[in-house]
Amino acid sequence: MSIKERTTTANFYEGKPVITIRPPKGLVPLELRDLWEYRDLLYLFVWRDIKVRYKQTIVGTSWAIIQPFIAMIVLSLFFGKLAKMPSEGIPYPIFAYSALVPWTYLVNVLSQSSNSVVSNRAVVTRVYFPRLIIPMTTVLTGLMDFAMAFAMLLGMMLFYGILPTAAILTLPFFLLLGIATALGLGLWLAALNVKYRDIGFTLPFLTQVWFFVTPIAYPSSLVPERWQAIYGLNPMAGVVEGFRWALLGKTEAPGMILAVSVLVAVCLLIGGLYFFRHKEDTFADVV
Amino acid sequence: MSDIAIRVVRLGKRFNLDRPRRGNATRELLEDVVRAPFRSLSSIFRQGIFNSNGRQPNNDKYFWALKDVSLEIRQGETVGIIGSNGAGKSVLLKILSRVSKPTEGYAEIYGKAGSMLEVGTGFHPELTARENIYLSGAILGMKKAEINRNFDEIVAFSEVEKFLDTPVKHFSSGMNVRLAFSVAVHLEPEIMLMDEVLAVGDNAFKEKCLNKMKEVASEGRTVLFVSHDMKAIEEFCNRAIYLSNGKIVIDGETEKVVSQYLVKNHG
Repeated sequence: MSIKERTTTANFYEGKPVITIRPPKGLVPLELRDLWEYRDLLYLFVWRDIKVRYKQTIVGTSWAIIQPFIAMIVLSLFFGKLAKMPSEGIPYPIFAYSALVPWTYLVNVLSQSSNSVVSNRAVVTRVYFPRLIIPMTTVLTGLMDFAMAFAMLLGMMLFYGILPTAAILTLPFFLLLGIATALGLGLWLAALNVKYRDIGFTLPFLTQVWFFVTPIAYPSSLVPERWQAIYGLNPMAGVVEGFRWALLGKTEAPGMILAVSVLVAVCLLIGGLYFFRHKEDTFADVV
Repeated sequence: MSDIAIRVVRLGKRFNLDRPRRGNATRELLEDVVRAPFRSLSSIFRQGIFNSNGRQPNNDKYFWALKDVSLEIRQGETVGIIGSNGAGKSVLLKILSRVSKPTEGYAEIYGKAGSMLEVGTGFHPELTARENIYLSGAILGMKKAEINRNFDEIVAFSEVEKFLDTPVKHFSSGMNVRLAFSVAVHLEPEIMLMDEVLAVGDNAFKEKCLNKMKEVASEGRTVLFVSHDMKAIEEFCNRAIYLSNGKIVIDGETEKVVSQYLVKNHG
């Protein structure tokens, strides 16, 4: 694709930046360099959202822990105690909680990011900046809640006397996989929600179903061998099993599920980036 | 040619008047998702073959907010854009500030441009005045160092020193406007795009803003200024462009253009 066909081009003319504004045509490039130029703004958006997130709440940042913790109690009671769900030799509460930490992160990020472009309408219709910054902000902001819930997880490991093995070194990779999944899907939802507010209504339902197809309340080993690859199509299956393996020293490393999950997450992310960029040109007119 | 600041060539912006109907909306959504990548490809093909946007759309369903607008603005000019509501002034400014994309034609901006398309852009009610200065400044395109450098001046100009650490949700609307304008007016871009910014605040503050803007213009910066306030335009701009129904009616010396506009609208 030649320079001429790009929607917006920055060149230099006698030492001055020249910006050409054209109608959008063809595949819109991601322009990651532009994104880098605006990293200050990304930082400020993250800072703003963290600062504002728990304003006018009573328990404040504790919400980050309360959410997954209560879910853990409920799961332990009904699935652990009453249904006697197997948990691969790990105490059920920590078995559930180690999955709930990345899961809660995903759910929070999705609910924030799907609404992010719409809730930033005031800036989107008035100022230029790479719009990708908006959903990226929600992914980074969510990490603060994640960090707190994760600290709680470490505390629980101590309580149950579970010492991490060398496998813990792989944890950043699984976190990255979770971030990629959240951002990838968040990009799709954010762009679609600009025009179709149905997304907001669909999301709670979607996450509810998703909860049950993710090995949170049960181990993925319950899924028959030949279905494991298909089970891995849910990228959160890879994330959750990865977290358990890296932290709790489960006997078997997630193999097939993880490989499929990584592939799906990468496709989701790349597709999401291009879809978002493609839709971005109409945000200011449609939102 | 080296002193050009903004060049606009045959710029057009079309809006779709069709509202999606129920049944169609679902189909449209699916098409949007499924066909998005293919449409991009097919537009490349179409462009290659017909060298245009493809089929000519039915005119009843569309509205041209801007059509065939061409103009050149040299560095250091202060240009006012006037016209009645819906003439396309704001659309033009939105395209130039890269918020909205044109449907046809193109525009070139030579140098760093900043836009003030409404005061208070990016303010968050829960944050304090001090925090909002940084946030709003960054959204408007200022670097952190730039804000630091101008911070005292911004605060002094806004006259809200006493409430620097109060969340702006407790501010009166007047205080909000003063603070917002103060941030925006301390932007240091070579090209300034401004929309209706003077339509707010009391007379004394308006006067102060106008003076500050004159000062900005006298520093040799290019200013493109959209307003309904003919007095401000006459006082401030040495050239004016009168837009009507998305087209340029006349473009020239402020007095001539303003009087023609007044004759057409009130005469």
